[in-house]
Amino acid sequence: MVQDQVQSALTIAEMEARKIRHDSTELWSRSIQPALWLLIFGEVFSGIRANLAPAGFTYLQYIAPGILAQSVLFIAIFYGITVVWERDVGLLTKLMSTPSSRTSIIVGKALASGVRGILQAIVIFALALILGVAINLSPLNIFGVIAVTVLFAMCFSCLSMFIASILRTRERMMGIGQAITIPLFFASSAIYPISIMPTWLKAVALVNPLTYVVDALRAMLLPGYHANLFIDLTALIIATVLFVSIASISIKRLIE
Amino acid sequence: MRKSSLNAIEATDLTKSFGKGFLAVKGITFGVEEGEVFGFLGPNGAGKTTTIRMIITLTKPTSGSISVLGVDAIRHPSQIRQMIGYVPQSVSVDGDLTACENLLIFAKLFHVERNIRKKRIDDALEYMDIAERKNDLVKHFSGGMMRRLEIAQSLVNRPKVLFLDEPSIGLDPNSKRQGWKYVKNLNKEFGVTIFITTHDMLEADELCDRIAIMNRGEIATMGSPSQLKSSVGGDMIIVKTVTPPTNIILPRELGSIVSTVDTEIKIQTALPAEHVVPRVMEYFSKAGATVDSISISRPNLEDVFTKYARGNLQEDETGLYNEARVARRSFQRHSG
Repeated sequence: MVQDQVQSALTIAEMEARKIRHDSTELWSRSIQPALWLLIFGEVFSGIRANLAPAGFTYLQYIAPGILAQSVLFIAIFYGITVVWERDVGLLTKLMSTPSSRTSIIVGKALASGVRGILQAIVIFALALILGVAINLSPLNIFGVIAVTVLFAMCFSCLSMFIASILRTRERMMGIGQAITIPLFFASSAIYPISIMPTWLKAVALVNPLTYVVDALRAMLLPGYHANLFIDLTALIIATVLFVSIASISIKRLIE
Repeated sequence: MRKSSLNAIEATDLTKSFGKGFLAVKGITFGVEEGEVFGFLGPNGAGKTTTIRMIITLTKPTSGSISVLGVDAIRHPSQIRQMIGYVPQSVSVDGDLTACENLLIFAKLFHVERNIRKKRIDDALEYMDIAERKNDLVKHFSGGMMRRLEIAQSLVNRPKVLFLDEPSIGLDPNSKRQGWKYVKNLNKEFGVTIFITTHDMLEADELCDRIAIMNRGEIATMGSPSQLKSSVGGDMIIVKTVTPPTNIILPRELGSIVSTVDTEIKIQTALPAEHVVPRVMEYFSKAGATVDSISISRPNLEDVFTKYARGNLQEDETGLYNEARVARRSFQRHSG
């Protein structure tokens, strides 16, 4: 039984991978934004006298993991729109009429956004290498980055699907997506350290899952960066399990 | 094809309410025999789709019970889903995948074993005559082909009961007829029980062994198409004579005169009209009335529908599925 449900989840992720294989336009267009962040924002801020990065790291090194997290966040947080669209055309109803459980469908969809996240990570790896950013390239670290990326995408795509089950239309999802991503992004350590934030923002940053993701990614990508990987991963796993559960319960609202 | 034994679907006092006390389905009871093609007719918003969704376990009934092939649908939803096939109203194949991939994904989701998967997929594609386009992206398919693919997709688990929700919506007459052919064959060759919702009377007449007409969440009437048609009156023979007839007293066995207006006499008959017409001719000429023309008018399902679903076409737009409807309109099938 469990095996069947795992197969269902993997099949739904496979569906996504096959779609990307047929048409990868979205993938490329989605890599423009992180490229601009690194090339323009990163380069400009590298030039200012005060280095925002901890001692021993360049600013580009510092924000590369942040930009990776940001671009995965964008994919994940708008994933609910895809699900609303699938509901609108009838695909979701069809999926729900198979013996696959609600949870396996949600996990499958979340993994599907993880697949997109992995491809995004590869693009950013490539960009970083082209820009000559020194990052760790050991297989273990790359595996770690991919694992964190997938978990992170799952976490936020489930949040997005949960919101989708409440808002139910694509237009509302577009609006709320913007309203969530920007604050999450700026209230995290993605492009500047928490230490320079005003006290109230620090408090927000500490409960922001993105902070932990960025921290974990830095720990794996930057040689010698100190982070509490255990706390980061625990926080991420707890958030993911929580959102997967909530989304599995609420998804039926979408088709009713 | 009917071979009554066990009931394929058994619904008792099925009720569904939405939100603020709106009753979409009001305690309906019906049974569908195994091997039967059963039609659910009714105007938009009558509760047809809600009923289907309760049977296929997409939504839980507020009260009442359902069983499919003897399995309780409320307690064992995934077991039900394993045995059935469902083709929703809206497009349910993924345009960004090939025909073959669409079937592969669903074969996996129905846990079809790996070693028979390929054969199942090929059989289904072959059966629905889309095998030669199996590696094409579905977004390039015509509306009729998409529908066929959707049916093929719902065949990968070899369902015992197939649910078709308004299968010919948005299709041209030819694709529609073609679709009917496949549906009939599935029923005849493999004995698949078919549950179909439609508001296309021709489709219902063509396909269904039995029909239930639903109106405002209730079953207004149920029976075979011919039973239903005779319930709104038998065949009508309209005789026009050259001069206004006098003294026409029709023998009882032929039928009864409903009205005589000027030279036009309407005769209601219980027998098939084409057999009565020669005898009516004979009678009229014996009575000395010269017949100018004779026509036959048969009650059709449309008459049945109008009788039982009267005064409902406008007001029952509840708005509940409006979002989905708007979306359906915006996602156009390619015609052709």
